[in-house]
Amino acid sequence: MNLSSIRARSIGWAFVLTVCFALTMALTLRVNAVKSQVRLAERKIVALRQDKQFLETEFQARSSQQQLKAINDVEFGYNAPGAEQYIEGERQLASLGKERSPDAPAPIRVASAASDDQAAFPGMVSPLTGKPVDSGDAIRDLQIAVSAEQAAPAQTHVTLSKAGGQ
Amino acid sequence: MTAISVSTRVASGRRQIVNVRQHLLNVAKWRVLMVALGFGAVALVALLRIVFLGIFQPAPQHLTMAEALLPDRGEIVDRNGVPLARALRTYSMWYNPKAMGKGSPLWRTPAEVAQAIGAVFPDIDPAELAERLAENKAFYIRRRILPEQANRLNDLGEPALEFPRENERFYPQGTMAAHVLGFVSSDHKGRIGMEEVLDKWLTDPETRGTPAVLSLDFRVQGALEDELSKGMIDAQAKGAAGIVLDTDTGEVLALASLPSFNPNNIRSADIAQTVEMRERGETPKGFNRVTNQVYELGSTFKPLTVAAAIDAGTVTDLSKRYAVGRPIEIGGFQIRDSHNLGGSLNVPETLIQSSNIGTARIADELGGARLKQVMQQLGMDKRPQIELTSRGRPLWPDADWSRITTMTVSYGHGVAVTPLHLASAYAAMVNGGLWRPATLKRLEPGEAPKGERVFKASTSARMRQLLRMIVVYGTGKNANAAGFRVGGKTGSAEKPGAGGYRRSSLVSTFAAAFPMDRPRYVVIAMLDEPQGTAATSGQRTAAFNAAPAVGRIVPRIGPLLGIMPDETRDVDISDLKPLISAGGHE
Repeated sequence: MNLSSIRARSIGWAFVLTVCFALTMALTLRVNAVKSQVRLAERKIVALRQDKQFLETEFQARSSQQQLKAINDVEFGYNAPGAEQYIEGERQLASLGKERSPDAPAPIRVASAASDDQAAFPGMVSPLTGKPVDSGDAIRDLQIAVSAEQAAPAQTHVTLSKAGGQ
Repeated sequence: MTAISVSTRVASGRRQIVNVRQHLLNVAKWRVLMVALGFGAVALVALLRIVFLGIFQPAPQHLTMAEALLPDRGEIVDRNGVPLARALRTYSMWYNPKAMGKGSPLWRTPAEVAQAIGAVFPDIDPAELAERLAENKAFYIRRRILPEQANRLNDLGEPALEFPRENERFYPQGTMAAHVLGFVSSDHKGRIGMEEVLDKWLTDPETRGTPAVLSLDFRVQGALEDELSKGMIDAQAKGAAGIVLDTDTGEVLALASLPSFNPNNIRSADIAQTVEMRERGETPKGFNRVTNQVYELGSTFKPLTVAAAIDAGTVTDLSKRYAVGRPIEIGGFQIRDSHNLGGSLNVPETLIQSSNIGTARIADELGGARLKQVMQQLGMDKRPQIELTSRGRPLWPDADWSRITTMTVSYGHGVAVTPLHLASAYAAMVNGGLWRPATLKRLEPGEAPKGERVFKASTSARMRQLLRMIVVYGTGKNANAAGFRVGGKTGSAEKPGAGGYRRSSLVSTFAAAFPMDRPRYVVIAMLDEPQGTAATSGQRTAAFNAAPAVGRIVPRIGPLLGIMPDETRDVDISDLKPLISAGGHE
């Protein structure tokens, strides 16, 4: 009986050792696998950086000062801006402006289209809660508020709120 | 075992056979066991090897990322970090006739292959190339080819055409700043320019990962080269030189010598002077006219003389008049003006009308010793101070200056210096009087040398007014870029030749600084042997070729350097204005 207990314990220790050894092995293998992955990633980064540098250099060579000058000479003919094209500050900018004379034509207005993501006006905010609400809620809130405070017709307020909120 | 159990009833003859059979079966079993053991051993070895690799993987032989990205040779960048020279792994096209082992190295005929290569590189002669391919010797067909060209040629499917990637030095801006940068020779050594100066830094593994920063600004350099080359073409000049220098630090923002060379494609004629070139009096394109060539820079010296005289106190009154009606006869020589400038001129008029006689008289009062001392303080007796190795030795009268030497030096003759000397001297004259050596390395704020005082601050302030007046009323009118408050002086000197000065060969220079109310940059433009053309109104003097070049350069570079044109601002010249006759001189 005693012998078998010692034996069982030995077997248990051996088992634990084996499991630990197996886990260590597994961990070591895993660590090395990750290291390899890191190395591969590094190698890829190096290759990409070299490619990037190559492309950068090609771009610089193709857009060199002399190339740009040649293109400007043939295509655009831009010159260095003259002194009159520079403005020193806001004061000088303002000095260029003139008041409209009485018989001046109306200033030209430029048409623009509002896109969907840029609302023309900010969304309506409830005057009671201060939170953004849709127009229906605002009307209801106002109606409740107005009817509670005075029995006067709330329609006028509602109309104003709607006009302001849209 | 049941299969080989034998009956006791079997006859003895059959027993023998059974024994043999038994023996054979045993042998077979042993063999199977041996083979199995062999396989087992191999499997075990393989397993052990896997475990060994998994646990004790030998230290990887690869480079770290930083090492892999370390360039073969360090980068050179301009002051804003724009690369001017970098290491680049480019494709080359190498002909390897042994690629296919024995037999013909090419699938097609050499003529066909040469034709196909000629279609990609039109400058290659297909007939000549076909001959070389047929010789079956390895050689570079072309170095530094573009990836797309390599792809097109790779599509030919000729195994003998190889495209190895090689480390090359590449200058993305081509010929720009070639004299400053230099080039790298085939033995990977930097030659001329900063490639040579910084060779150790650019090759040392410790430092080459950090780019070498120059003081140049590639935009300013581009504008300077562009306008100088236009001026050179307009005037049909032999060469041109220009420099833009920071007056307060000595940093060189741009330095150009034309004609230039392409450091990406160096030819021996760019560096070495051939016999024909020597006979024609030409210098190689690699010769730096700004730092290496000395010229008598003529009238651009006059403001320096006047500044020395004001500083020494021999000119205390700018309205004092000097007789210029008749040439000065001295030591058998005659000092003349280009045309009659009237009976007498005061100091501002002397500069505005660029009178040799007037300046000689001012220098005569000043005395040779003092003029010589100022010129020495401005570094005119030594090679110019800059990092480059190619620096010309001035032709400098070493002995005590006689009266005639003093007088001729006062208007820029009898002493030959480089345009860089002149730029540093002008910087000292307008920046408050401090001379600093020029540098091609970018200086961080606070790193600028303190400088040596040559002129008093008051003299410098006076000179700013006078230089501005020369541009507003005098020979520098064509450099008067609106709003930039340019001040400067023209100089058109005859080149010395056999038996005296050659009247037909001029060196025309315009030395300027801007903005004159607070000078920040000195600009020098010089043309070597300009001709009178329709574009220069038939004139060869600096007022018609070098001055307009500066007038075009300044509006291009000013805003890039933070100097905005403003027509409402200028240096105050109201106290000197009454001293000049109305309208000034054209």
